Amino acid sequence: MTQLLQLSISGLALGASYALIALGFSVVYRASRLFNFAHGELLSLGAFLMTALVEVMPWWLALAASACLTGGLAALLERTVLRRMVGRPVFTTIILTLFLGLLLRAGIVIAFGTDTRGMPTPWDTMAEVQVGDSTVLLSSLISLGATSLVLFGMHALVQRTPMGVAMRAASENQEVALVLGIPVGRVLAFTWFLAGATAAVAGIFLGMFPRSVDSNLGYVALRAFPAIIVGGLESVVGAVVAAFMLGLLEVWSQAYVNPHLGAFGHNFHAVFPYAAMILFLVLRPRGLWGEHEVRRV
Amino acid sequence: MPTRPLVIRYEDDLKLFPGLWQRAGVALTLSIALAYPWLVSTRWLTVGNLGLVAIVGAASLMVLTGFAGQVSLGHAAFLALGAYTVAVLGAKHGWPFWLALPLAGGVSALVGVVIGAFALRLKGLYLAIVTLGLVFLTQHVLLAYPEVTNGLSGTAVPMYWWFRDDAGVAASLSETWLVGGVGFTFERKLYFVFALLAAGTVWLTKNLQRSDSGRAMMAVRDQDLAAEVLGVGTTQAKLQAFGVSSFLAGIAGAMFAFQQQYITVEPPFDLNLSIQYIAMIVLGGVGTVFGAVSGALAFTFLSPLAETVGGAIPLVNQLTSAQQSTVLLSLVVVLVLVLEPLGLFGVWLRVRRYFQSWPFRY
Repeated sequence: MTQLLQLSISGLALGASYALIALGFSVVYRASRLFNFAHGELLSLGAFLMTALVEVMPWWLALAASACLTGGLAALLERTVLRRMVGRPVFTTIILTLFLGLLLRAGIVIAFGTDTRGMPTPWDTMAEVQVGDSTVLLSSLISLGATSLVLFGMHALVQRTPMGVAMRAASENQEVALVLGIPVGRVLAFTWFLAGATAAVAGIFLGMFPRSVDSNLGYVALRAFPAIIVGGLESVVGAVVAAFMLGLLEVWSQAYVNPHLGAFGHNFHAVFPYAAMILFLVLRPRGLWGEHEVRRV
Repeated sequence: MPTRPLVIRYEDDLKLFPGLWQRAGVALTLSIALAYPWLVSTRWLTVGNLGLVAIVGAASLMVLTGFAGQVSLGHAAFLALGAYTVAVLGAKHGWPFWLALPLAGGVSALVGVVIGAFALRLKGLYLAIVTLGLVFLTQHVLLAYPEVTNGLSGTAVPMYWWFRDDAGVAASLSETWLVGGVGFTFERKLYFVFALLAAGTVWLTKNLQRSDSGRAMMAVRDQDLAAEVLGVGTTQAKLQAFGVSSFLAGIAGAMFAFQQQYITVEPPFDLNLSIQYIAMIVLGGVGTVFGAVSGALAFTFLSPLAETVGGAIPLVNQLTSAQQSTVLLSLVVVLVLVLEPLGLFGVWLRVRRYFQSWPFRY
């Protein structure tokens, strides 16, 4: 029981990071109708910026600054490259974002090198807390809390503020939104800024002990894909819920499924979500909360 | 004299070589291909061999993505299956390469058809992510059975041309043969085998494109619901595309393994390889066999050039040579996508139109 609780907490902490990543993918998809494969590199960019900025300013300020810088870069990418892709096939945008990701990655290697760095924290990096009769890393709890805060903040922003209403309108139908006087271009830029900023926060919390920051951090985004697909690309809530489920599934299967599979189980938890996703999609091709598509000729 | 034959019947439209110019072009390509191994150094012969592998791989992806419109990030998985099939058959059982090659295609095609059946209801991005999952699953399976695949340390890929004799020794292709005073090194022999395979693949895909199955695939790509209403068997077309594409991808993987002589799972068989093949067909122009061939050749010949150029650019020269070529190629692909959506095929069309209407501008 103790082990289950401990695993569940670390699963939820992992799920929280996945949720932030999934959120970024999902808001961008709703706004621009494209799947941003370069999102993972924004994660590692945020984390690397944090390790550099924390040397010159207080921790909280560095967190905000790296989130803003990463968000700014995401908005810039949208404005300069991806907005030209409006109306082009899905295929083109997939490839374009994949290659933008490769370029970003090379830029990160040039700017920050390939060394592995530890993520500094204002609290003791390896501090542990007693929850019931199990010990949990303080960093896990804080990242769980902080990401929940960001998620609720996003929810409030999208549901309650004029900007949120504009975002929802623009994702519903861009032309009608334009006619109604919504500055769709600025809304798109703001959406991408938010996606970049949440990616940076996710990267920073993912880089904390027991993990570290290196140029491969961006690959974590690939592990979040099953959540986004199962949750349904169009549904932000679905993606976030599925991301928490994914975190739990990964941690639980590492503890309970891997040992029963013998040699095949080694590292099986890393691919188990993908196998689960493929089976799931056979049953529900549009995801858990994805809207049913009406087909017209 | 008209510059090209007039198309007045369907048969004319379906001709492989409609005019004198096409025939001349094919003859020129063939003679350059035959002369190539005698004209260049070993380094560029290796690049040429990799180019031929890339032609087969890109043509196979073109069938799935270019003709049938099924976006796949899982090409690396099919290549890996082909490569490991010939590796195991060669190293453990001493099979000759000409027997192992079709089997590599067969294993890969089997997995392709099964995945294709899963993918029937999926579209666009969903399919892309599922096929990405296939790459991870294949890597996992290949690494999980080290007694067959040698796991992380990789396996040697011997290339035999005949079965084992009584002493248990098979005749390897790797020693140099002397035929009438002309030395056939391993690379040269490989080149001719590969050239035959690449030509066969191009011929096959070109024929597929102009047959009714190919047209069914293109109908599915352009508007699947309309195709269904018109009586096109969409299920059959998609499964055929997956089958043919993964069969050829398995062959390409096997060729790659023979060329490398020693393979590991990761790298090369990861997401980056899938991305490279997608880049090739995008560079060349999606939906045409010409695009697959030109894109594959442009991509493989640009890589060593990019490594040479990359060293001279500040900041970029801090990277490893592989990363340098990745950066420059990514730049090229991004620029092509933004500026010339049809790729090299679009450039070719523009050049041809210019000369056809010369000296007038239109």
